[in-house]
Amino acid sequence: MELSVFDLSKHLGVVPNTIERWIRQGKLPVSQKGAKYRFDTKELEKWASKHNIRLNFSDKDAIQKDIKSVIPLSAAVQNGGVFFDIQGTDVNSVLKSAIGKITNIPDDFKTDLLDRLIEREKALSTGIGNGIAIPHPREQLGYLTEPLVSICFLENPVDYKALDNQPVSVLFFILCPELKMHLHLLSALSFCLRDNQFTNFLKSRPDPIALIEKIEILQKANPI
Amino acid sequence: MSTIKNGYKILYQKLFHLDDRLLLIIAGSIAGICSGLAAVALRLSLESVLEWLHPFRHYGWAFIFPAIGALLSSLYLEKIAREGAGHGVPEVIYSVSRYGGLLRFRSSYSRLISSFLTIGSGGSAGPEAPVVMSGSAIGSSLAKFLGLNDRQRITLVGCGTAGAIASIFNAPIAGLVFSIEVILGEWKFVNIIPIAIAAVAGAQVSQAIIPEQVLFFHQPFNVGFPDIMASLCLALVTAMISVLFTKTLRQTGKLAKKAPFPLWVRAVIGGCIVGITGMFMPVVLAEGYHFIQSMISGTFSMGIFITFVAIFAKIFATSMTLGWGGSGGIFAPCLLIGSLTGIVFHKALFFLFPTIGCASEGAYALLGMTGIISGVMQAPLTGIFLIVEITGGYETILPLIVVSSISSTMSHYIEPASFYFKELIERGQFLRPGTDARILSDLNISELIQTEFIKVSENMVFRKFIEILKTSKQNFYPVIEDETGDYKGVIQISAIRKYALDPGMYDMIFLNQIMDTNVITASLENDLQEVLDMMDIDNMESIPVVENDRFIGMISKTRILDLYRRELIMQTSVQ
Repeated sequence: MELSVFDLSKHLGVVPNTIERWIRQGKLPVSQKGAKYRFDTKELEKWASKHNIRLNFSDKDAIQKDIKSVIPLSAAVQNGGVFFDIQGTDVNSVLKSAIGKITNIPDDFKTDLLDRLIEREKALSTGIGNGIAIPHPREQLGYLTEPLVSICFLENPVDYKALDNQPVSVLFFILCPELKMHLHLLSALSFCLRDNQFTNFLKSRPDPIALIEKIEILQKANPI
Repeated sequence: MSTIKNGYKILYQKLFHLDDRLLLIIAGSIAGICSGLAAVALRLSLESVLEWLHPFRHYGWAFIFPAIGALLSSLYLEKIAREGAGHGVPEVIYSVSRYGGLLRFRSSYSRLISSFLTIGSGGSAGPEAPVVMSGSAIGSSLAKFLGLNDRQRITLVGCGTAGAIASIFNAPIAGLVFSIEVILGEWKFVNIIPIAIAAVAGAQVSQAIIPEQVLFFHQPFNVGFPDIMASLCLALVTAMISVLFTKTLRQTGKLAKKAPFPLWVRAVIGGCIVGITGMFMPVVLAEGYHFIQSMISGTFSMGIFITFVAIFAKIFATSMTLGWGGSGGIFAPCLLIGSLTGIVFHKALFFLFPTIGCASEGAYALLGMTGIISGVMQAPLTGIFLIVEITGGYETILPLIVVSSISSTMSHYIEPASFYFKELIERGQFLRPGTDARILSDLNISELIQTEFIKVSENMVFRKFIEILKTSKQNFYPVIEDETGDYKGVIQISAIRKYALDPGMYDMIFLNQIMDTNVITASLENDLQEVLDMMDIDNMESIPVVENDRFIGMISKTRILDLYRRELIMQTSVQ
């Protein structure tokens, strides 16, 4: 295979000017065809191994595989579902009845998840003020196949030890199999909740379809 | 003794402290004389033992001699001297590049004894490499005695080498050139004068003690135009033979290592095979100086075919001796193979062109030697100067240069590393001064590490971390476990920027949720090359150094560049 100066500069991570200087200084195995320089990959590999230089022609896409498709918040809400009339009088009982309602969690893990959520609330309340809390566990949940965001409207506001000491009436559960998604969803959610229109809209207890539509609109304003 | 040492110390501080050239010249000449003496001792003892064994040679059981010699030699090296087999030159080169030429005093005689046993009994090997090892160990020990630093010690190691080679061949310039070209690898002004003087001292020692046994008598040759054309062809032949020799040597060595026998059994097997070969072809036995002498003086009487076979027999015997546990060098075998090649070539030339008016057989033997030395050791200058000094004149220099340059270029093309360097290159120990590999191996992780870091707990709330962030300049924050203090991960500012600018996240997450746990970590044992490779893989600017689960510090590319540059300046500057 033959390479041009530009190709080689990409492989070596330098600018073409550097390659040209090296050619001028006689440091590269190069052949000249007319006014153009050409490099033979086999000769280059030999040269690179002799000079202990990393040179990899084969997998250029290796770098790109890291970027995974991140799930948008609206899709996570669809996974998690929207639930109304959660009963309970304090943090623990509210969490318990909410988890009982969320359908996408395997039943075997529900008690474990509850313990973790309560533990997280003990460390620091997830009530962010304005009547909203974002309960989530500190560890990620490997048993989930997809990230879930479940929105639960409480029957009666509950004292959640929130930052602004206001009682909480809406819970956003964030349950993720991976940390990266968790941070992404948390950040997306916090963007939505900063919007006053959206928080007022929440207070009207909208139906799930309208809620997801609203989230989709907000999401477009904050592309990640 | 202590008064001498005190006196020397005062002298050193007053006289040599600022300019050590005089000291190096004096110490170098002592090293040259001592290694010259070692070379003379080995030569004399070899001569006498070979003469003593000569009457038994025609018996059928004489093939056992090389086996006994190789057995004793390998047992001596393994059990008593506790040193590896092999010829020792790579060890000297490695020691010069890595440990400032530090060699054990024991090495100054152990190789002499083991190679005396191997070669004296008839094993096919050369006494030069052992003498080089011994000379350089003498130089190193002298430097230790005088309390010199690494740089000065390297010069003295070079002096010992030069003295040894100069003494054994009675060729001071060849000693100087070999020492600088092969052992030290850099032509530095400060080195050349002491080494030259040591080489002359070594040559003088051998002339003074054994004037009648000087290896090669000076004799002039008449070389004409046809010889230059012929030497072009000869160079191609020697290049081929050189490559064949190098490859055979290495392959036999590898084969022997695979053989399921203990070292001494291997030595016996190898010795027996050499002995049997020697029964049919006595030219292959021992170091072969006598045959070389007769070939140069034109009194060699074997026919063309047998001489041709002898080339391969010698290659085979040398590989069996050295690969299977014997001790010795390849210099003398190179000379013998070279002169055999030269003779065969000369005979073939006369057979094809009977009327051609070219030089004598002896001249071609010398040209062949140059070709093989240049090809196998890839030390063209050593080849040229050795023969120039042997012939004592510059009449042959033109064909010598032709043969030497073509042969070394050709064999370099096929086999890029010379026999001496190949092992070192394979082990990643070929570290010539001023090269990238040398600087990377000299710089230690502990020199590069930056330890001033604010550590954060994994249970810290993000808001508290943001407060720390406001007042510190760090780009990396190591995260540790609360109770044990173990390293858990690292927070890289560039990776969390998105969350750091989002106040809604501040109370929602703890540091263990945003720290990066997949970062490759280095440890203090890694060398710099490995660390750079790690950085390359993940495209990291900095990586944490973790030892026994404890965070020690960070290594950054910026810091590496700073120190790398300073190290390069230090290593390439002229003292």
